[in-house]
Amino acid sequence: MNNMMIIGQYVPGNSIIHRLDPRTKITVIFFFVVFVFFANSFWSYALLTVFAAVSVIASRVPVRYIAKGLTPIWFLIVFTFLLHLIVTKEGQVAFEIFSWKIYTGGIAQGIAISMRFFLLIVVTSLLTLTTTPIEITDAIEEMLAPLKKVKFPVHELALMMSISLRFIPTLMQETDKISKAQASRGVDFRTGPLKERIKAVVPLLVPLFVSAFKRAEELAMAMEARGYQGGEGRSKLRELRIGKIDVLIYILFICVVAGLFLLRS
Amino acid sequence: MQASASTSKLLKMIILALMGAISLVLFFLNFPLPFLPAYLKIDFSEVPALIAALIFSPVAGIIVEGIKNLLYLVITGAGDPVGVVANFLAGILFILPVSYLYHRYKNVKGIVSGIVAGTIIMALAMSLLNYLVILPVYAWFMGMEEMNIESVKRAAVLAGILPFNILKGIIVGLLFLPLYTKLRSWIEQKSARFIAD
Repeated sequence: MNNMMIIGQYVPGNSIIHRLDPRTKITVIFFFVVFVFFANSFWSYALLTVFAAVSVIASRVPVRYIAKGLTPIWFLIVFTFLLHLIVTKEGQVAFEIFSWKIYTGGIAQGIAISMRFFLLIVVTSLLTLTTTPIEITDAIEEMLAPLKKVKFPVHELALMMSISLRFIPTLMQETDKISKAQASRGVDFRTGPLKERIKAVVPLLVPLFVSAFKRAEELAMAMEARGYQGGEGRSKLRELRIGKIDVLIYILFICVVAGLFLLRS
Repeated sequence: MQASASTSKLLKMIILALMGAISLVLFFLNFPLPFLPAYLKIDFSEVPALIAALIFSPVAGIIVEGIKNLLYLVITGAGDPVGVVANFLAGILFILPVSYLYHRYKNVKGIVSGIVAGTIIMALAMSLLNYLVILPVYAWFMGMEEMNIESVKRAAVLAGILPFNILKGIIVGLLFLPLYTKLRSWIEQKSARFIAD
């Protein structure tokens, strides 16, 4: 739990997918999610599956991490599959179990929808597996930059996101420390009636809020002292850059989408 | 501390960012209720947003809710965007009544009536929203237009969404009330400082 919070699901690496510009990854994955809903034939699903499989292999992320992302929705995939088997009554009768007729249309529909889920989860989890949360935040800031024209506080939002991300592990540790300190004084968070357990959380939150305000004051002072003055003309440590691989990936993805529309029935 | 206008704005942003971070930490420490479906989980992530809404303004509470949900998306990926939007809306619907009534009366009575109003508004609005938008979207997502039936939706709302949101409001309220009485003078002091700036 603690470990997961610190880095999200990120698996460090240096594969092609890791090195892609995060904006490329977000754009491609966004459109992949949209186009998955356009697949409607065996070969169109096959094409998208190959694309997802190649991306996973190229990312060199161990399959067990991707399987871990799928665990919460295995149930949903199986459930949808079975529901389609029972409800859909198209095509011919494939076979009968206990005099319940299973239709070929139901099997095809069930597989198609399960595949849709599977592809969505695998591809979206590839983003968080190969990109740090801070990279995603930077990318979002760049991608939302046009909104500055309508006075949307893009820079401020990105700054708040990065500060939050920086302090999540710290606050996590602090929560842990305070709850241990409370437990050593005999507070019981796990048993007893619900009302008592809720009350036990109060002394945990009070120091958390008070110290967060102290931290905020220190950080604001430190930033001011170093001349922070908003987003205008601010330089960056990590500059995002669209490279040759990014262009290549865009071209490849456009080909896949074109192929998808050719293979649709 | 002598604070210039820019320091005050920066400090406010940092405080909201930290409140968002605490909110996310509390969001991950969620727990299911024994007699409701497992995807409806209770957490205390609305509490930091409430504190921000009391000290600054209702908008500050909305910003904290927004940061929490954006952080969740950035950290866990976009596996369930519909759920994230639903959580954001539910949070706002709960916070706004509490902060409006608090800023009107500035006492415990304001908080209690706010929590009652917030719970009712959140539960009713989320039930309606689930019935009209969220459940149909999930059904479409699963390729299950057949599931989009009146009786199924009504059962899901009446047996799941409605009691869940009422319970959530009550449980968060049960935590927030004693927390407020403990932090009252602190909240008023911080609030006064930022209004003075």
